[in-house]
Amino acid sequence: MASATGGFAGKVLRVDLSTGAVSTESTVERYLDVLGGTGIGYRVLWDEVPAGTGAFDPANKIVFATGVLAGTGVPCNGRTAVTTIFPTCWPKPLVGSGHMGGQFAAKLKYAGYDALIVEGKADRPVWISIRNSQVQIRDARGLWGEGIRRATLEISREMGGECAVAAIGQAGEKLAPMAIVANSVSHSAGGVGGVMGSKNLKAVAVQGDGAVRLAGDKGEWERLVKFHLSILGGNNQHVVPSFPTPQSEYYNPGSRWVGEPGRRWGAAEPPVEITGNIRDLNRIAYRTNSAAFYLGANAWQYTVRGNGCTGCPIRCHTIVKVPSVAAKYGVGEMGQNTCAGLLFGRGFFRKLAAGDKSHTSLEACMLGMHLADDLGLWCNYGQLQRDLIKLYYDGTLKAKLGAKEYDSIPWDKYESGDPAFLLDMIPRIANRQGELGAVLSQGTAGLFTAWSITERDWSQDKETAYWKMGHPKHHANEDDGQCGVIINTQYNRDAQCHSHVNFVRNGLPLAVQKRLAAETWGSPEAVDAVGDYTPANVYKARRAKWALIRKELHDSLGLCNWMGPWVASPLKERDYGGDDSLESKFFSLATGLKTNREELDRMGERIFVLHRALTQRDMGEPDLRSRHDTVPDWVFKDANGAAPFSKGTTRMDREDIAKAMDLFYEVMDWDRATGAPTMEAYARLGLQDVGRRMQALKLTPGTRG
Amino acid sequence: MNSAGEDWEEAAAEAVREASRQGRAVSAAEVLEALAARGFDVTSPDAGEKAEAALRAHAGLACFAGADGAARYHDPALLSATYAGIMDRKASPTLLMAEEIRANSREYPRPVPVELFEAEPFGLTPEQIGDALRAMAENPAFEDIAFTATSTGAVYLFSSRSLEPGYAKFLAEHAQNLAMNP
Ligand code: SF4
Repeated sequence: MASATGGFAGKVLRVDLSTGAVSTESTVERYLDVLGGTGIGYRVLWDEVPAGTGAFDPANKIVFATGVLAGTGVPCNGRTAVTTIFPTCWPKPLVGSGHMGGQFAAKLKYAGYDALIVEGKADRPVWISIRNSQVQIRDARGLWGEGIRRATLEISREMGGECAVAAIGQAGEKLAPMAIVANSVSHSAGGVGGVMGSKNLKAVAVQGDGAVRLAGDKGEWERLVKFHLSILGGNNQHVVPSFPTPQSEYYNPGSRWVGEPGRRWGAAEPPVEITGNIRDLNRIAYRTNSAAFYLGANAWQYTVRGNGCTGCPIRCHTIVKVPSVAAKYGVGEMGQNTCAGLLFGRGFFRKLAAGDKSHTSLEACMLGMHLADDLGLWCNYGQLQRDLIKLYYDGTLKAKLGAKEYDSIPWDKYESGDPAFLLDMIPRIANRQGELGAVLSQGTAGLFTAWSITERDWSQDKETAYWKMGHPKHHANEDDGQCGVIINTQYNRDAQCHSHVNFVRNGLPLAVQKRLAAETWGSPEAVDAVGDYTPANVYKARRAKWALIRKELHDSLGLCNWMGPWVASPLKERDYGGDDSLESKFFSLATGLKTNREELDRMGERIFVLHRALTQRDMGEPDLRSRHDTVPDWVFKDANGAAPFSKGTTRMDREDIAKAMDLFYEVMDWDRATGAPTMEAYARLGLQDVGRRMQALKLTPGTRG
Repeated sequence: MNSAGEDWEEAAAEAVREASRQGRAVSAAEVLEALAARGFDVTSPDAGEKAEAALRAHAGLACFAGADGAARYHDPALLSATYAGIMDRKASPTLLMAEEIRANSREYPRPVPVELFEAEPFGLTPEQIGDALRAMAENPAFEDIAFTATSTGAVYLFSSRSLEPGYAKFLAEHAQNLAMNP
């Protein structure tokens, strides 16, 4: 069965760092029903990690898992989900996952593995070497204390330049909950670096010489890949360019498709000018320039090229070269990253004198990337920076830190917006130096536990963007009304879901979005114009369910949820529609296991509900609705006092959100009163074993008095 | 037909396509000029009307009213109506800006940053933009064109026919924050 199924590499590798044992098991026999990625991660934690296990306990496991489509030619593949008991989750650690792109996923599959489960704890620093079937636990004492770059370089020298190295920096070694693991320079998974550190695991390096076997017809596969390329937009599946062009009826100045003909990658040698038809499928990589999107047109002159994950034509990790940064701050002149990683340095400053798109801003971003991606510090989707801003300006830091420590920090540089401030602050946090480093390296949870700041202090204040459980919002009501709110209630860290926001920010006119919404979710009322929200309805609840399921599917197939799903396209000839069954078509062709959109979505739902059960089991809480699926107070406020549903506010209405949650639980087949999955839902999804266990724990509806 | 045996209607359509490839929508008069250059007899008094009728009937072509009121033809597969309209109005910065602001407010709906008009294909100088805004402020035909400023001082333009000022302000702030909300 295993060898007859395409797409899968075939095996899951298990390394016990306590005993040194290395073993494998068949992916298909053991994990087919949860696909891969987060699915395998959740299943391993459910089966093998008891409730109450701490993030840094040796009993915790860390699962690096990719999926069927990783390492193939499917656009936007190459993602690895890293699932574990998550250390920044407050008030107690619960299941969570970080996701990294780069080349790690493909290499792991080429080596013959769909996933790597690491368990136990080594008695000294080690790294894991995977070269096809040869797996070794190696001594890492010489690497301990080094940054991610040095560790990667040293290991690559030994394994060969083609290997992928996922390493932690000093933050992870020092058990900072706010630590990353990173591969391929800038592709990181947040929050899991400290778990690796707790196991004395410096890095996992993998080199594979095999290939991914496709079960289906190769011609059909090629045609589908070509079709997929044709419906891609720019980064985040923004399907209209940011500029008017003869080839497009629509444009949106806010689009991430910024690669306009005439623009130049000015720091390439020699510089490259963007020419030709913006629709040319061989020129998709010119569409996205994250540096230019975040830092303004000035960044074009510093652009070398795009970089990205295996098989992804979007290449959103833009490489920039800024010699002035090297001269002024003594770091490398080259940098690369995207989104929150790119903004790491700039985010610390409340205001930069010359503005967010100035050269100073670019320097701050460069410096932040260099320091954080080497020391291995995570930003918790910008929460670290927002926390520092609030703590400094409201006087908390002055009150909490001793005078000596407080005075040792160059606050004058901070106030004047001098990027050199980061040379002090980022290492201070990553190295857990002093009271400030010890507390901030725990994430927002550290403020609540060490400094007796209440969660309410944060959840009342919109400026913090804080949502719950130690983590911020991730595209909530500010982008997508009730749909965004529902999605943000569901995880134990920030939601990391882009399915919904990729659609509402795609740049198409509202009327077109509503037509596509009617086709996909049953009614144009499934989507509103931003800030012109209408009351909750079942179509929004269905869209929220779809968004969550697709997120889990992407994370379990090795696809990028920062690009999918593909409901919309740039194609006028398709009435701007994409193809919502693309994932199932690729899955069928890759594996040879014929499925369709509904069936694959059911698998995604199974994975999502497994996460729900794991969360509930480890919380030991029958009432998830009021104890887990919470919404911060700031969501129900408006700075100008505007009423909910008035035009120009993102303020939500408490009763309406309660109704939205009712509708969501209904479409999920969960209990309305508690938000707990019903036995029927477990059975429908093939999770009878999970349901029975939850019932025995009295955590299913109606099992407690 | 001309001496090369080309069909008149097809040659007229090809003239439109050729202009579309170059990023321009064309009037029937321009099409007749192109036909004359290819050896067609376009001297009959009803040639203009004939050309208009043929172009309108052509399934692959589209037309819109140009800035001078005359019909403009283009092939939408080669040249979008949006882009064709922008190119058609380029001679009048005031009209160019006003129509673009109105279309954005009406269709998406959204206000647009004033810098949009400095970029291609608009390509206006800051002076031209300033002049156009002043001209609009003084002309009742443009009384719907308004501006709003974000908390960071960025200026956005909108049409009050489609957007209320408060909502325009919200949308401008939202647009300005996109890059800090990845
Ligand atoms: S869009 Fe960016 S993060 Fe996603 S697969 Fe492509 S390069 Fe990787």
